[in-house]
Amino acid sequence: MRLRWWGHGFMWLAGLVLLMPILVVSAAALNGGRSMLFPPEDPTLARFGEFFVSEPVWREALWNSVVIALSSAALAVLLAWPAAYFIWKSSDRLSRVIAGLMAMPFAVPPIVFGVGLGFMWAFTGGLGTIWAGILSHAALFAALPLVTISIGLQGIDRAHLDAAATMGATEGIAFRTIVLPQTIPYTISGFFFAMVLSFNEFIVIFFVSSSSYATVTLQIFNSLRNGFTPTMAVGAIAFILVSVAAFSLVARFGDLPRLMGADQTRR
Amino acid sequence: MSASAAEEAASAPGPAHTDASGAALRLGLLAVLLVLCLVPFLFVLAISFGHKIEGAGWEFGFEFTHYARFFFGAAWPESFSQLYWQRLGYSVYFAAIAAVLAVALAFPFTYFLTRLSRLGQTIWLVILLSSLSLSEVFIVMGWDILLSARSGLPALLDALGITDWTKEIGWFRWFRDVGLASPRNFKFKTSGFATVLTMAYLVWPYAVILLYPALSRLDPSLIEAARTMGARPLTVTRTVILPLVRLPLVGSSLLLFVFLLGTYVTVTVFADPSQHTLAVSIYDSVRGSTLNAPFGAAQSVILLVAAGGFLLAGRRLSAAAAS
Amino acid sequence: MVDLVLKGIRKDFGATRAVDRINLTFPHGKLTALLGPSGCGKTTLLRMIAGLEDPTHGRILLGDEDITALPAHRRRFGMVFQSFALFPHLTVADNIAYALAIEGVDKAKRRARAEELLELVQLPGYGARRIGELSGGQRQRVAIARALAQEPRVFLLDEPMSALDAKLREDMQVELRLLQQRLKITTVVVTHDQREAMTMADQIVVMSHGHAEQVGPPQQIYSRPANAFVASFIGKANFLSGEATGGRFRVGEFTFEAPRAPSFLTGSKVTLAIRPENAVIGGKGPNALPARITFIRDVGSTRDIYLSTPVGEIVVEYGAGESLPPMHVGEDVPLQLPPETLHVFAREPEAAA
Repeated sequence: MRLRWWGHGFMWLAGLVLLMPILVVSAAALNGGRSMLFPPEDPTLARFGEFFVSEPVWREALWNSVVIALSSAALAVLLAWPAAYFIWKSSDRLSRVIAGLMAMPFAVPPIVFGVGLGFMWAFTGGLGTIWAGILSHAALFAALPLVTISIGLQGIDRAHLDAAATMGATEGIAFRTIVLPQTIPYTISGFFFAMVLSFNEFIVIFFVSSSSYATVTLQIFNSLRNGFTPTMAVGAIAFILVSVAAFSLVARFGDLPRLMGADQTRR
Repeated sequence: MSASAAEEAASAPGPAHTDASGAALRLGLLAVLLVLCLVPFLFVLAISFGHKIEGAGWEFGFEFTHYARFFFGAAWPESFSQLYWQRLGYSVYFAAIAAVLAVALAFPFTYFLTRLSRLGQTIWLVILLSSLSLSEVFIVMGWDILLSARSGLPALLDALGITDWTKEIGWFRWFRDVGLASPRNFKFKTSGFATVLTMAYLVWPYAVILLYPALSRLDPSLIEAARTMGARPLTVTRTVILPLVRLPLVGSSLLLFVFLLGTYVTVTVFADPSQHTLAVSIYDSVRGSTLNAPFGAAQSVILLVAAGGFLLAGRRLSAAAAS
Repeated sequence: MVDLVLKGIRKDFGATRAVDRINLTFPHGKLTALLGPSGCGKTTLLRMIAGLEDPTHGRILLGDEDITALPAHRRRFGMVFQSFALFPHLTVADNIAYALAIEGVDKAKRRARAEELLELVQLPGYGARRIGELSGGQRQRVAIARALAQEPRVFLLDEPMSALDAKLREDMQVELRLLQQRLKITTVVVTHDQREAMTMADQIVVMSHGHAEQVGPPQQIYSRPANAFVASFIGKANFLSGEATGGRFRVGEFTFEAPRAPSFLTGSKVTLAIRPENAVIGGKGPNALPARITFIRDVGSTRDIYLSTPVGEIVVEYGAGESLPPMHVGEDVPLQLPPETLHVFAREPEAAA
């Protein structure tokens, strides 16, 4: 059944509502004054300079965001890879326990996980350190690379492994020459998913940072009682651009519909 | 572990997990995950029974003070307060409406999405994922402007003359009565309307992503078969598509509901303080004004139990309906 | 008598032309097979008849009624899908009664009609089962019953046998044909299997590259193929490339007579075709040539003799009942191509082959 005009109409309307807050925020970044007005008054690009260069609060926050996002995403991939591989090799009880543990932080209200991590880091003395933030985000988002890498592994024809074995490949060689090359796009996708979500995460990092450092989302939240300012909107624009770029790369080098669970036999 | 040892282990007969190195790696991974993913919840549980030290924090203990405070109020047994029940009630109320709204609006969208070409689907997915990952603080920022009296929807409605028009035909009173208007103009902040709207917006892309696999695997010949048997498009939706994706629909709603139970920023900014949720109360206890970590932990446990209860009930219900 | 008539049907998907210049009549109460290799446009044509695709150009008529723009759900055409497309969330009886439920027929009548149809397809008492409990053959019977429930004006089947194993397929072909003859319902079957088409059809439409190559009764298509494509697609044939010379045809150093061939201008390129069962080993008379046996395939019911000749390889087929002198690989034998069995076609451009 082809898509009729009202189907397209509904999709465009939904897309418009989806983009509306983003567009408004982007426009608000141009405000010359201190308040968030739409349409912007005295349009200026000065806020971009403030966010990226002249105001150390924002520069440091951005640096912290970047460090935590990249490190936690890398760590999440490192945790997810062996887990995905074990589940693929044999879905015994231990493998399923590992998968279940990885999925757990994702399946509960995030505020509860954040509170728990806060308690745990306070107990171990890690509260307020950057590495505690990195570990926390890695635990929170390891489920994402676990899913993408598992999808990649499922796409591997096991007959290829048998064929490699008949040609003299050990399991190590077969892994390097067959499994790894076919799953690299999925690994990278998983990394990007974890990175983008860590970049934007707020409530967990709020509880584990304990006000000793701030990420961009935290800094915005901390300034909330004084109201939103156009400089924050610049942060929003930067974050949206990073997300769009990351997911476009995923789409360019991987099969996004398949990653999201589409049936690849059709079309 | 040397490289040659790894090679040797890998070339040994039998699957990898029987090897010593594979088993060690698995147990190591299990240990790390236990610490990172399970221990935090155990801390929450343990501290919920802990003892609050006035002005100095808390210590481990075993008392039910904090649960009693949740169930009966701080001053019980002298007086009874249902304040925290009310908070939990608003958590459930906002999350339920927003989750159902998001899934209901995501269903037709996702169906149309799966009928597009592969390229069209990919482009929409990039947009959806970018919106999905967008931080709650930015989304709240956007809706804050959109709903603000000076430069948002109220100003637009005023400029278009719709405000005056609703006053003329008498509907304006109704908006005032439900709290969506000041005596002279529309006012969407703070209100349950703004809260639910933003929460639904927050999870709508998630809803699309969750429904996407089920709808894209739907065999198009089932729909065509129904059409050749005389079913018009709406009848096809009612008799074929909806029954086939009922489980994913219920499952997505439950998942998003649980996720929304923990919404914090949206509620603090958009909801009236009298309608604040348990998440706000947890925040206040752990890090905010009241500073009572064990009580925050107890509230977290209750939120978790409530979430688990709803998940279980939902699964029971859909299993019962399926058989 | 309401025939289904297609007039000048064309279908484009973007830049690709899937179906072109189709003018066909599907006679009332007859079974027509759309036969062709995959990608020839036969399924697209069937889907246009069903109303699931809109033709880019052309009209579809049922008797005097123009149904080109009528949506699928208002055509009352029953269709059996390749995957059967049975609703997994409904029972067998509810699947069959689906069209009646849409019409608003009351429950008792629906149940009675479903049971009646289940008896027709020899599955009495299966109404309460779930689709998942059925075998492939049973599913197909249910799909047929479901398509017949609304007493369709036209009955459409898209590759109905492709999901069945070989043995079951042959039985179902006969059964479906008998059912269709009993109900006297205008039927269109899409298939890529020439045996299936010849078993069931009153009329065969051979399709290739979106065109109808030949339309006619099965025996006529087999014995009088209109071109080399039809000759190769329906049954087997040996092909020789030659040239017309004064009413006869030269292949290499040999000249053949073909009295039933149309006349060609001298010098025009032609393709000669002969069915394996028509060539004769040891035959005398015109069109004789020397041959050597290279391979003998004896599959019980038939014996295929592979021969190397100066004009190329030729296969001769004998039935099990026909007596043959003992033959050995490597033996030299005379071969005759009886003139009245030789088909001659104008040589087609390479791309069309």
